[in-house]
Amino acid sequence: MKKKLLSLMLAGAMVATVFAGCSSSTGADKATEGDAAAATEEAAGEEESVALMGASDDDHTLTVAAWDANFNIPALQAAEAAYQQKDPDFKLKIQEVSASSDVENAVTLAGASGDYSQLTDIVLFQDHYINKYMTDYPDAWQALTVDADWKGFSDDKLSYSTFDGKHYGMPVDNGASIFAYRTDVLEQAGYTVDDFTGITWEKWLEQAKVVKEKTGYALLSMDHNGDDLPYMMMQAEGQSQWKDGKPNLVGNDTFKSIIEVIVQGAQDGTIILANDWSEYTDSTIIGDQVAGVFNGNWIIATMKQNKDASGKWAITTIPTLSGKEGYAANGGSSLYITSNSKHADLASDFLAYTFGGGDGAIATYDAALTNGGVISCYGPAGESDLYNAPDEFFGGVAANAQIVEMGTHVPAVEQNDYHYPLREKVGALITNVINGNDIDSEIQSAQEQMEFEMDQ
Amino acid sequence: MTNKKNKSAIQRRLIPSYIFLVIICFISVFPIYWMLTAATNTSYEVSTGKIIFGTYFFENYKGLLERAAASSGATLGKVMGNSFLYASVQTVLCIFICSLAGFGFELYHDKHKDRLFAILLLAMMIPGVATLIPLFRMMSKMKLLSTVFAFFLPGISTPFMIMMFRQNSRNFPVDIMEAARIDGLPEWKIFFQMYMPIMKSTYAAAAVITFMNAWNAYMWPRAVMTDNRAMTMQMLLTNLSNGYTIDYGVLMAGVFFCSVPTMVIFFVLQKQFAEGITGAVK
Amino acid sequence: MNKSRSIQRKQQRAGWFFLAPATLLIFVMSFWPMIQAFIMSLQTGSAANMKWQEPLFKNYLRVQKDQLFQLSMRNTFMYLLIEVPIMLILAILLAQILNNKDLKFRGAFRTMVFMPCAISLVSYALIFKSLFATQGLINTVLMNLGLISENINWLGTTSTARAVIIIGLIWRWTGYNMVFYLAGLQNIEYSVYEAAKIDGANGWKTFWYITVPLLKPTIVMTAIMSINGTLQLFDESVNLTNGGPANTSMTMSHYIWNQSLGQGVANFGYASALSFIIFIMVGILAFISLKVGDTRD
Repeated sequence: MKKKLLSLMLAGAMVATVFAGCSSSTGADKATEGDAAAATEEAAGEEESVALMGASDDDHTLTVAAWDANFNIPALQAAEAAYQQKDPDFKLKIQEVSASSDVENAVTLAGASGDYSQLTDIVLFQDHYINKYMTDYPDAWQALTVDADWKGFSDDKLSYSTFDGKHYGMPVDNGASIFAYRTDVLEQAGYTVDDFTGITWEKWLEQAKVVKEKTGYALLSMDHNGDDLPYMMMQAEGQSQWKDGKPNLVGNDTFKSIIEVIVQGAQDGTIILANDWSEYTDSTIIGDQVAGVFNGNWIIATMKQNKDASGKWAITTIPTLSGKEGYAANGGSSLYITSNSKHADLASDFLAYTFGGGDGAIATYDAALTNGGVISCYGPAGESDLYNAPDEFFGGVAANAQIVEMGTHVPAVEQNDYHYPLREKVGALITNVINGNDIDSEIQSAQEQMEFEMDQ
Repeated sequence: MTNKKNKSAIQRRLIPSYIFLVIICFISVFPIYWMLTAATNTSYEVSTGKIIFGTYFFENYKGLLERAAASSGATLGKVMGNSFLYASVQTVLCIFICSLAGFGFELYHDKHKDRLFAILLLAMMIPGVATLIPLFRMMSKMKLLSTVFAFFLPGISTPFMIMMFRQNSRNFPVDIMEAARIDGLPEWKIFFQMYMPIMKSTYAAAAVITFMNAWNAYMWPRAVMTDNRAMTMQMLLTNLSNGYTIDYGVLMAGVFFCSVPTMVIFFVLQKQFAEGITGAVK
Repeated sequence: MNKSRSIQRKQQRAGWFFLAPATLLIFVMSFWPMIQAFIMSLQTGSAANMKWQEPLFKNYLRVQKDQLFQLSMRNTFMYLLIEVPIMLILAILLAQILNNKDLKFRGAFRTMVFMPCAISLVSYALIFKSLFATQGLINTVLMNLGLISENINWLGTTSTARAVIIIGLIWRWTGYNMVFYLAGLQNIEYSVYEAAKIDGANGWKTFWYITVPLLKPTIVMTAIMSINGTLQLFDESVNLTNGGPANTSMTMSHYIWNQSLGQGVANFGYASALSFIIFIMVGILAFISLKVGDTRD
């Protein structure tokens, strides 16, 4: 019996080998039966339009690599539908990758082998890193050949995608940060959202303590070692952790004060530093532990998963050290055309027509908002009816238009290729200070480690 | 009567062993049980540690199908099929090539071959990250990206597998080999007609290990399988575990589908596996 | 005489023929990339445009000043020193118990102990991560049992994060190693034990003076495999703790990954140099284990 099974398995594997021999040149062929039947009709419909990593050969087809099936991909689908108004034969083949790093690594590997033929026509690329990849792999990109309505975008957003005066990228999502509060919780503690608007961090910490004492809610959470907090708080001050391409931590009073705020909040229990992303989203936000959320506005999708809190949230600006209203952004990305594309004109026209403020812009951005919760960074899109419709989740306020408006105030601050390594070091610094280490020596060592890492 | 008494005495002495084993088995199996329950619960229930089976399995399964369709432009069956195909091809080629080498190294061993074998062992001491770029360049130059060849080529000849076959070949009865030679059987026929059948439990063990490794590989496939029609289960799993919002129920359903094939294969072949690991020759 | 020598030579040639495909593949698929990686370890710059480092061995010299790598090295060796002995001893113990012919349900026990190996590395990291989450199952259970009064932040505290990684490793790999020992025990004649019993040796003595020496080759093999695996430990650090908190659970391979593709910085030159340092460490440790335990020849 066992022998039979073994030989059966080996025979099966042998058959599979032969089968592979035939189909391997195309990677794979027809879908296996079985679960296939259960898969949705759209999958069957898309079978032939399956995306291929690599550029398109067809005059009416483009390929694009992007991440996040719940966010960016619906936005791209919205753009495809919008552009079909102009070109009914148009098709956008979307290749889903797991994270932004997959696109970065695809470019790196292509650069390493000098062979860019595996890249899609268009890639989604995160803002923090595009500069490095433009510099390191200049052969990987093409400038846009069609101008968009650039005036509709913020300087911060365009500063990422413009090189030598030429536009290489088309902004997609608005990474503008929101600071959202639970009005019902604040009310229990005797506050309103206005009490948290245009205040200093010092006052924020005081009031947060009151909220914590009276209601048990923390007022803010962030994943890991506080990951994105220092960056956003610095940007709200109009400052960067970088100066002239060097880490700017030692002797930077703003930076030190911000770290002290985070450490204080963590010690008071008003800021929860979750261990990882899932704890951040599922336990602290969806799990109803916090009455405040501060992050790029894409976090709203997570907030909406706690349905009980619907209608009780309100959005405002970010506290600063001085008490003026702060604006920041986090986690935005843009679309870039790769050198591998044979249809740069089509790609440029597609991008300009849809995301770039062309005739398809309103349709694109409205559908992207509805299906993916993607909020535009194209100012005029915020004037659409949809954007100005009251949002029940935020108690009937037109939150989307508010966010677009906030996005236009975000100051451009110095970026660096070592964004993530620095974020990690600052995170470690925060953890160590919370654990009782001296803040100055920790800042010193973070700066030294960063300088060491950059000195290759 | 005395025999029976004796038996129960033995069983009584084994009680500590039983207790120990039950505890170990509970620890071994519990996380797997938990994975199964998680696949039937909602994301929120998973992250707050619900321990009993829920009723959400079909929703999670549907979510998984949708994600598979969105990720690969195909179906979950297709992604599973890819994984199965690649892993099978790698397994068959690997156990063939490595058994051939193990046979050669052990049954024809001399000083030079032993030395060569020691050199080959060096290949397993370098972290995979280091050779990723050069290997990728190679695959790109050979135009093999996104083909099954890129998937299996670096994995079909491994020092570990050669070592296993070499080690187990020590139990191969050399005298019957001599007898066969006297009968005029050529060397290659000795391999196919005698070595392969006699060593079949080693083959089973090697097949299980290779299949699991190939099925579970994710870093290398993610680099070279750039065409998403060639997506594997592990790649789908990493897609599921990234993003602004992660559905843990769907993710655990993915983990479930990822684990079933390797578990089934182990169940089917476990007898041969146990025998074959260090070469009980039957 | 003459004839038999020519036959022997023919046989030797056949031997080379059998091992040629595998050897060739290893040379092309492992050694050639390793040589290229070594060349890369003397270079710097982006992957598309690498230049020779000045001085040539700068990437190697940098390691002395790299505090994070040193931290990751200490972490890795701590995992090695704690996890490998516990795991191997546990595996031998289980194999010894399961080898007893009087034991009932042996097959079922063996299957269950081995089962964790069928779970992929990505999957098991995800499972452990959710089990040990602050709101997760382990805390819920401990709370209900009244053993703790406040949720333990398993993955957010250095000592417990390291412990979770070690527990995970033991969970995942003990059964795997046990199978090797179990198979090794099959080769020990049962009569040896019978003889020992007649001589009055107790269970512990038989284990120590008969089982362990006879299992020596298997022990050496599993030890080398475990040392190699632990020094290249990667998935657990990345997927389970993400190296945190404050990098205190990060392994060497994880750090190398961060230096290459992990954080988008793509310092392949330095990453390659670090890889060769691991290579040398594994080589030295493997050599020592072989010297301590080799029985062949």
